[in-house]
Amino acid sequence: MNLLQRIKNKVRARSIHVAYVDVGSCNGCDIEVLACLAPRYDIEQYGIYVHNNPREADVLLVIGAYTPGWEEKLGMVWEKIPDPKVAVAIGNCPISGCLFNRRESFVDAPVKKHIPIAAEVPGCPPRPTEILEAILSVRDSVFANWEESHP
Amino acid sequence: MGLSLIWYLREFARREWIKKFLFAKTAPLVTPSHFRGFPEPTGKTCQHALFCMMVCPAPGAIEVLHDGDRWMPRIHKGHCIRCGLCVEACPNGVLKSGRILETMGREGTSLLFSFRIAIDLELCTGCGNCCTACPVNKGIDAQMGAGGHSSNDDVIMRVQKGDIVVIHEDKCTGCKTCEVSCPTGAIRIARILEGYQQPVHEGLQ
Repeated sequence: MNLLQRIKNKVRARSIHVAYVDVGSCNGCDIEVLACLAPRYDIEQYGIYVHNNPREADVLLVIGAYTPGWEEKLGMVWEKIPDPKVAVAIGNCPISGCLFNRRESFVDAPVKKHIPIAAEVPGCPPRPTEILEAILSVRDSVFANWEESHP
Repeated sequence: MGLSLIWYLREFARREWIKKFLFAKTAPLVTPSHFRGFPEPTGKTCQHALFCMMVCPAPGAIEVLHDGDRWMPRIHKGHCIRCGLCVEACPNGVLKSGRILETMGREGTSLLFSFRIAIDLELCTGCGNCCTACPVNKGIDAQMGAGGHSSNDDVIMRVQKGDIVVIHEDKCTGCKTCEVSCPTGAIRIARILEGYQQPVHEGLQ
């Protein structure tokens, strides 16, 4: 790995944009993501900027149990994100459907069936610290050596 | 004074200000120990009362599994919502989460399960399936035959003269095996959960 590549890796891991998409949650996890922006947890001190525009995003936070209204739209959002990209499932709903995944409900959990998920954060809702840890743990591995692994 | 350029230059040349500017750190991401996490075993022996599974509001979050030579509850992350009800409902204190157990001990609170057996005699055919399926009955009277007849007075329920009779409702453990085995759906078990607070005397703490 040459010096330029090493600098690129370092800089990329410290400058990522996050978009979040709510595919039918109860808003509990949305509020926890919002708490990450607040001064107590302060997601921007890690160089993470929540922009909520898939065209500019590197990390997509998926929140919610995948209601039928999202059947075509979530894939569209995922395709709009330029490579390298990664999706993180926030909360129980995108992992298992949790309380909403009962008989005669219309949710189509897990979200893993529809888009590739790199990290899952369990909890109902997960704490802001856990959300931050998940984003921080994926950023180093995903964005490192991108040109070499995808020529 | 605040408008003076020199005042600003002196202010930013202060040693404390430069130190704070270069080396300021935000608080590390630590979870305080009193936060409710996923329930963890305390090391006490699980008596297989299954109250944790009965009280759990999230589907598929907790299972009591036979692990080698003992029973042990297992929490499934991604299903568990960290409500802590299993910690409160367990009569043996097998699980812990945050400071739930300390709070319960200090305030003398507990969750009590009781079970009621309701039988619809219009639907009941007196076949005795429930009596023979019941695991508590089997432990008390292993000789109970297929008709559900028993000469033992200690059983939960038995068939007398073609009708089901409940003798000891208090021995029911709420497993609902009888409900599953009933061909007509005549028997129903009600699981009743009560919050209970016992006054704690000052001297006992």
